[in-house]
Amino acid sequence: MLGGCASGDTGANEPWDPLETPNRFIFSINRAVDIIAIRPVAVLYRDWMPAPAQRGVHNLLDNLGEPVTAINEVVQGDPSRAATTMARFLVNSTIGLAGIFDVATSLGLTRTKEGAGNTVGYYAGVEPENGGFYMVLPLAGPSNARDAAGLMADYAVDPFRILTYALNVDWLFYSGPRWGATVIDVRSRTLFALDDIEKNSVDYYAALRSAYTQQRADIIRQKREKTNTRSELERRDNLALVR
Amino acid sequence: MQLASRRAVLCLAAAVVTMPAHAANEPAAALIEKVANEVIALIKAKTGKDREAGIRAILVAYFDLPFMGQSALGTHWAATPAPQRERFLKAVATAEARAYSERFGQYSGQTLTVGRVSNRPNGVTVVDSKLSQTSGQPIAIQWEVRDAGQGPRITDVKIEGVSMVMTRRSDYNSYIQGQGGKVEPLIQELERRAAN
Repeated sequence: MLGGCASGDTGANEPWDPLETPNRFIFSINRAVDIIAIRPVAVLYRDWMPAPAQRGVHNLLDNLGEPVTAINEVVQGDPSRAATTMARFLVNSTIGLAGIFDVATSLGLTRTKEGAGNTVGYYAGVEPENGGFYMVLPLAGPSNARDAAGLMADYAVDPFRILTYALNVDWLFYSGPRWGATVIDVRSRTLFALDDIEKNSVDYYAALRSAYTQQRADIIRQKREKTNTRSELERRDNLALVR
Repeated sequence: MQLASRRAVLCLAAAVVTMPAHAANEPAAALIEKVANEVIALIKAKTGKDREAGIRAILVAYFDLPFMGQSALGTHWAATPAPQRERFLKAVATAEARAYSERFGQYSGQTLTVGRVSNRPNGVTVVDSKLSQTSGQPIAIQWEVRDAGQGPRITDVKIEGVSMVMTRRSDYNSYIQGQGGKVEPLIQELERRAAN
């Protein structure tokens, strides 16, 4: 079976989509909601919100995600990277005023973003294009079995979620604003790419399914093969030390 | 002394690793640089229909469009008669030229830096590059270059891991299946869009 995967599954195959009919149904509802409610707000946000404010919101949301990233980096067997992430979190939460300013990057602590979907993909012994069956989540959009399970796992271990739940914080003060801001931030950043895919495709659903699968696979493949800039530098250092 | 020699070794190792990045005499890398320079010159100078025509000329000159079209049609290519293939390739070239000329929008100082060049065993050369913008993260673009006898030609562009050919292939394949497995409606749709 493994041999079959290695030879046949080169990513040239179509994403596995046994739920295509319900997926297309949810996709069309998502599109309607997007056209009516989300896209207009995202366009206004992108065009009228001052750029520093947009950056501040983005940094703040990133900072809230750092603990989950660190947890995933530990599970991925990279505790030193997780330590860097936690250092970033501590610096940005304090000097960076609750994460609005990304001070850590200017201190040389580079940003990473990890989720349990990446972690599963990293360890799973299959082509990274194979993330289980494809699914379209209500509101969240394209996903697959791997990444949807990852989202749930990330939600379960998120210290902020656990803390606010334990302290009985009203959703109006934490979860509501956080997820609302996340939707607008993500949507305003994907306006260009999604408009492009929609305009230049004859079947938007299929084109987006393919693009999503490829991009997720690329991120996971980079993790596995360690081809990002940092790993490249590490490899160089190791090479020097061996000599 | 020991420190100095260690530094020398580090430098040497760094030089060895980065050397492929400077292999500018590599034909594939030279092709990408040439295309990037021509495109930047074009979008600085022209807009609208003139730009679209210019992009189309660049696509025809440096891209292996028949091969890309064939890959995008996938298994349907073999079942498509030659005149239909011709119309399909023509419509695709127009669609891609329009997509690219609109995508670039206003030129705002982006630069393309060609990085590592790696040869794959199947005769394809992959050229890594980074598109640096004036604001925001650079965008990773990988170019697949193949030489099928007429000199090196680009056969695919991957933007942040998303292959243009593979996305089109999924897109077209799904559309064809939705039309009862016939290629003709796809060609008509592409021609209709090209005529606008």
